Amino acid sequence: MRPVTTLLLLGILALTGLTAVYAAKEAAVELQFKPRTPDQMSAFYEARGFPDAMIKPLHAQCFITVRVTNTGQQIVWLDLARWTFTANGKPLKRYHRNDWLEKWKKMGMPAAHRSTFRWTLLPERLDYQPGESEGGNIILPRVKGPVHLHAEFATGEDRKGPPVKLDFDNLRCVSNLP
Amino acid sequence: MRLSLTLLMSLLFTLPAWADSGNIKPPTGIRVYAIGPAPDFELEDMDGNRDSLSSGRGQWVFLHFWASWCGPCRKEMPAIQRMARLMENEPLKIQLVNTAEDEDTIFSFLGGVAPDMTTLMDRDGSVTEVWKPRGLPATYLVDPQGQVRYQALGGRPWDQPEYLGFLKALVHTPASAR
Repeated sequence: MRPVTTLLLLGILALTGLTAVYAAKEAAVELQFKPRTPDQMSAFYEARGFPDAMIKPLHAQCFITVRVTNTGQQIVWLDLARWTFTANGKPLKRYHRNDWLEKWKKMGMPAAHRSTFRWTLLPERLDYQPGESEGGNIILPRVKGPVHLHAEFATGEDRKGPPVKLDFDNLRCVSNLP
Repeated sequence: MRLSLTLLMSLLFTLPAWADSGNIKPPTGIRVYAIGPAPDFELEDMDGNRDSLSSGRGQWVFLHFWASWCGPCRKEMPAIQRMARLMENEPLKIQLVNTAEDEDTIFSFLGGVAPDMTTLMDRDGSVTEVWKPRGLPATYLVDPQGQVRYQALGGRPWDQPEYLGFLKALVHTPASAR
């Protein structure tokens, strides 16, 4: 039992045969996770005209769509630098959006694709107002087995309110259907 | 003398109430966002006509950034279309800006969910980047002097009485009473 965090597993709701929605809730923040298969992500970007040169490296990664909702009365500060992932007992480094945006730029990828890609990602930082809900993808190296997430959020206008700490033990990268 | 005193007292008590009635309280999910002058832009619509944000100067502008891949945009767009019909005789310019998609995608999407609407096309996403919305969809309300005044947090049911009433109050309230 973690001392600060009260983790509430709301449920695992199968939406398709492949992916599920996981949710974790603390007093002021609700997180929803929807892991995406490589084929789902490739199809999404292919449909928007992304070239193979962008799709191939993305196909190899683990995409999880995250929705963050501020369910409290104070501002909640998302800062992905305060999210740590571990898998198989080792730290798992999340790809920062700039890793990809710089890569696409070096590769000479069209600005429209870079823009679409950018807006499909979860913001690196955002001040969630009470009631606000915003989402987007995070990208991790693809691993087998459960992924642990420890997420911390500052609260209050001056960020000096009691921090919200959430732990989630059972995130997973999902695979394509055989 | 007694009459003057009575008049003065009644003014003192009634003035704050009168002044307060001029304040417009935004509905849920709309926040005051007075960041100063709205960054101008000029873009083409789906028929090749060019329009700019500043062409709406002199009236309120409902500026909305969207993309077809964004789930909340799909939900919100029909509400914007209904709002546009209900506000068509009001001094409100509704300016949609699609982020980084092509004509076919936009045409197909709007044809399905909001066939009366037309949009400007931010083909390379550069205008959206300047505005730096919190996510998509994103709506700003720009006053007749070209100042950003309000920001919507995520998608909103713009055709509902609470939101229509707010928009109508905005466009009919003199600047001095806002």
